[in-house]
Amino acid sequence: MSEKTLTKADIVEEIYEKTSRNRSEVKNQVEEMLAIIKQAIKEDYSLLISGFGKFEAYDKKARKGRNPQTEDAITLPSRTVCVFRLSRKFRAEINPQQ
Amino acid sequence: MNKSQLIKTLAERLSISIEEATVIVSTFFDSIKEALKAGKRVEIRGFGSFKIKEYQGYTGRNPSSGELVEVKPKKLPFFRVGKGLKEYINQ
Repeated sequence: MSEKTLTKADIVEEIYEKTSRNRSEVKNQVEEMLAIIKQAIKEDYSLLISGFGKFEAYDKKARKGRNPQTEDAITLPSRTVCVFRLSRKFRAEINPQQ
Repeated sequence: MNKSQLIKTLAERLSISIEEATVIVSTFFDSIKEALKAGKRVEIRGFGSFKIKEYQGYTGRNPSSGELVEVKPKKLPFFRVGKGLKEYINQ
C-alpha cells in the first residue's frame, strides 16, 4: 500500500484477503458496486452509508455568468452536482478529543 | 438507497450471497475510513477522492445569545467528485 494515498487497487487487495476469489474477480465486483453507487446517486439523488456519510445529488439551475478574463456574459447551463455529507459518528471518530 | 439496499442489489447483480456482498461493501467503506483516520488521501478513479482538511480553532459567537464560544480545531474529510461521476450524473 502506498504511503499517502489509498487507491482502488489497495481496497481490492483488502477484499481479496477476505474472500476465496482471485484479484480480477474482486476487481470486477468492486467495479459493479461503484456502478450501483453511481446509479443510486443519479436516480435516487441519495445514497446513505450509515456510520460513513451520505452522497447527495441536487439540480442547479442555469445562471448567467461572466468570463472573468474577457468579461463576456455567458449562460452557465443547468447541471446536477453531487455532495458528500459526513456522518456524525464518523466525524466523532476522526475528532476523538471533542 | 441505503447500505443494506446496496448490498442486496450487488448480491443480485453478481449472483453472490448477501454475506459475500456485505464483505465487499463493508470492506470498501471501512478501508476508506481507516485511511482517512490515518491521515491518508483516498482516490477512487471515476468516482472521486477524499482528503482530510484541518480547520484551526477560533473564537465564535452564539448568534442568538451573543455569547462567546470557543470552537476547537477539527479535522473533516472532504470529498471531491471525480470526472467520471460528474459526467455520469449529468448525462
